[in-house]
Amino acid sequence: MSAILQEKETTLYLGPQHPGITGNMMIELKVTGDTIRKATTHVGYLHRGFEKLMEERLWMQCFPIVCRICVPEPDPNEENLARAIEELEGREVPERAKYIRVMMLELSRMATYLLWMGGQSGSAGLYTMPQWTVGDRDYIIDLFEELTGGRVYHMYIWPGGVRRDLPEGFEGRVRKVLDYLEQRLTDYDRLLFENAIFLRRAQGVGILDKDMAMEWGVVGPPLRGCGIAHDVRKDEPYEVYDQLDWEVITHEGSDVYSRAMVRRKEFEQSISIVRQVLDKMPSGPVHNPGPNPLKWRVPAGEAYVKTESARGEFGYYVVSDGSLKPRRVHVRGPAYVHGVSLLERMLVGANIADTSFIMNSLGTCPPEIER
Amino acid sequence: MEPLVQFFYILLPFLRDWPEWLALTVIGIVAALLMFGFVAIFALFAIWLERKVSAHMQDRIGPMEVGGWHGWAQTIADTIKLLVKEDIVPENADRILFKLAPAIVFTAALAGFAVLPWTQDFIPADLNVGLLYILSVSSFAVIGILMGGWASNNKWSLYGAMRSASQMVSYEIPVALALLAVVMNAGTLSMRHLVMAQSGNILDWNVFNFFPLTAVAFIIYFVASLAEVNRTPFDLPEGESELVGGFHTEYSGMRFAFFFLGEYANMYVVSAIATTVFLGGWLPPFEFLSFIPGPIWFVGKAMTMVFIQMWLRWTLPRLRVDQLMYTCWKVLTPFSFAIILLIGLWKVI
Repeated sequence: MSAILQEKETTLYLGPQHPGITGNMMIELKVTGDTIRKATTHVGYLHRGFEKLMEERLWMQCFPIVCRICVPEPDPNEENLARAIEELEGREVPERAKYIRVMMLELSRMATYLLWMGGQSGSAGLYTMPQWTVGDRDYIIDLFEELTGGRVYHMYIWPGGVRRDLPEGFEGRVRKVLDYLEQRLTDYDRLLFENAIFLRRAQGVGILDKDMAMEWGVVGPPLRGCGIAHDVRKDEPYEVYDQLDWEVITHEGSDVYSRAMVRRKEFEQSISIVRQVLDKMPSGPVHNPGPNPLKWRVPAGEAYVKTESARGEFGYYVVSDGSLKPRRVHVRGPAYVHGVSLLERMLVGANIADTSFIMNSLGTCPPEIER
Repeated sequence: MEPLVQFFYILLPFLRDWPEWLALTVIGIVAALLMFGFVAIFALFAIWLERKVSAHMQDRIGPMEVGGWHGWAQTIADTIKLLVKEDIVPENADRILFKLAPAIVFTAALAGFAVLPWTQDFIPADLNVGLLYILSVSSFAVIGILMGGWASNNKWSLYGAMRSASQMVSYEIPVALALLAVVMNAGTLSMRHLVMAQSGNILDWNVFNFFPLTAVAFIIYFVASLAEVNRTPFDLPEGESELVGGFHTEYSGMRFAFFFLGEYANMYVVSAIATTVFLGGWLPPFEFLSFIPGPIWFVGKAMTMVFIQMWLRWTLPRLRVDQLMYTCWKVLTPFSFAIILLIGLWKVI
C-alpha cells in the first residue's frame, strides 16, 4: 500500500499568490505525500528592467531607481551606486557624511531584520511576532522620515556625501529608539528565539552544507550561519567600518536556527555600531558638491563596489563611457543565488510545511531577483 | 430527557396540562433553539473576544468602531456581511458534497451541546453514556471536513482535509484515554453523575483527585483537545503559510461562516467537557459561593478554558506534521496509558 502511495506524485503551485511566499514568485513543487521531490522556481512576475532602464537615465536619475531594487532595504543600493560613481570621479566624501552613511546603513539593516523576524515567525504560524516587529520597525521608519523625507525610499545617500545634515536633536531621538529596541529584544527572545516549538521547527531544518555554500556563492547571514566569517564590512571595509569596534558574527549549525541567531545577534550589534557612530561623529560638511546634475558627465571607466546588506553582499558593476548616462549598471544581489538556485536545491527532501520557513531564512527578495 | 422535562414543568407549570406528546415536542424544540441561540451568540462573542485578545497581545487595540463600546457589534456586522455575500461554488467542485460539508461540521459541533450539563436540572439529554456520545459526535466533524476538502477540487483543500482527518483521528485516542482515567474512578459515563461525584469544595474536583495523576490527565486532555479543534499549535489543517486556508480555502460567504461557527462551537464543547469532567462542572469552588447559580460557574469555567486556548494561539508557532504525530503517539498516548495504569493500581491498593 505504502509503495503505491510513494510513487504517486502531485504538483503543487506555491504562488504567485500564496500567503506563505514573500513577494510575487512561484515555486512549482513536485511532492509525494508531504515530502518535496523537486522544486522549480518561476520568477518574472515583478520584472521591471531596472538595469536597462538606468542606461536611458541621467546619472542622478538612477538613484530613485536603485532604491527600489529591494523594497525593504533601499539604502545599500544607494550606497553602492554613490560609491561607484565616487570611485569613477575620484570625488572625496567628507568625514561626517561617511559616519552618517554608516548610521543609515545600520538602521536600515535593523529595519530589515525586524521585517524578517516577522516573516520568519509568520511562516511558522506565530502571528504575534510580525505585529510586534513591524510596529517597532515604524520607530526606525519615523527616524528615516524625519531625516530624509521618505519613509521607505530615501534617496538620501548620493555621490559626494549625503543629501542633508542631521536635524536638531536627531541624535537623541536615535538613541531613544535604540534603547527601546534593545529592551524589546528580550520580548522577542521570549516569544520567538527561545520558544521550544520554534527551536524544534528550526533546528536541523534547511541544512546548508558548508562546502556547498562556498561553491554556490552564498553570502550574508546564510553563509555566516554555516560558521564562515565573511562580511564585506570586515573583509573590505568601506566608509568608517574599520574605525568601529565590532566582530563578524558566526553561528555553527548551518540550519534555519543558526541563520536566525546570526540575524538576531547582528541586530544587537547594529545597535552598538550606531551608538559608536553617534559617539564618534565629527562635525563638518556633509556633501562635496559636484557639477550641475543635468550636465553631469562621469569620466569613462568602470568600477565594482560591494556593500554588506541585510541579505548579504550586494555588488554593483558600473561602466561609464563619459556621457550623461551610465553605459551599464550591473547588480549582483544575494537574492538570485538564495532565492532561485539555492532554494530549488534546498527544498528537495524538505516538508511542504518548511517551504516558506526555509525561503524566509534565506532572505529571499523577489523584487531583487528580477531587478 | 427526564431532568430537562422536570425543569420545564417547574418553570412553566401549564405544560403539565398539555398532552404529553405536545409538551415533549415543545420542550424539545425550545431546548434545541436555546442551544442554537447559545452557539450563535457564543460564537459572535468568542470571535470578538479572540480579536480583542489577539489585538492586546500584539500591541494593538482591535475593533473599536462598530456598536460603540469596544466594537462589540463588529462580529454581528461581519456576519451580516457574510450572509449577503455572493454564494460561490467552484466550477469543478462536487456541488452536493460542497454544500453539505459546512452543515455537517456545524451539526457535529451542535450535537455535542445535547449532553452538556449546565446545572443539575438543566441538561438537554441526560444520557447514561453522555461522555461516550459527545466523543462520538465530535469526531463526526472529520467527515464534514474531509467532504469539504475533497469536494472543493483544490489540492490545498485536500491536503488540509487529509491532515485534519489524520490529526483528529489520532488525537481522539489521548482524549478518550485521559477522560477514561477519570471515568474509572467515578464509575459513570453520565455527564450529570460525573459532576455530582465531584461535589464538595475545590479539592474534590477531579483535577486534584489522585494528585498529580489526574492533573496530568487534565493537561493531556487539554493539549489533545486543542488538536481536536484545530487550534494552534495544531492548526495544520488551515496552516496559512503552508496550505493557504486548508479545507476551507474555496469556501466563502455563509458556508465559510458555518465552518467558522463550527470551529468556535467546538472550542466551547471541548472546554465544557474539560469543565464537566475535571473542573467540577456547575459546582462552585467553595461552599459559601453556592449562592451563585450553577450555569454561571459552568460557563465561566468553560470560558476560562476558551481564553487559554486563545492565549496559546497567539503565543505559539505551529508544529510540523511529523512533530504533530510524534506528540500524539509517542508522548500523549503512552502517558495517558501510564496514568490509567497508575490510577488502577492506586485504587486496588
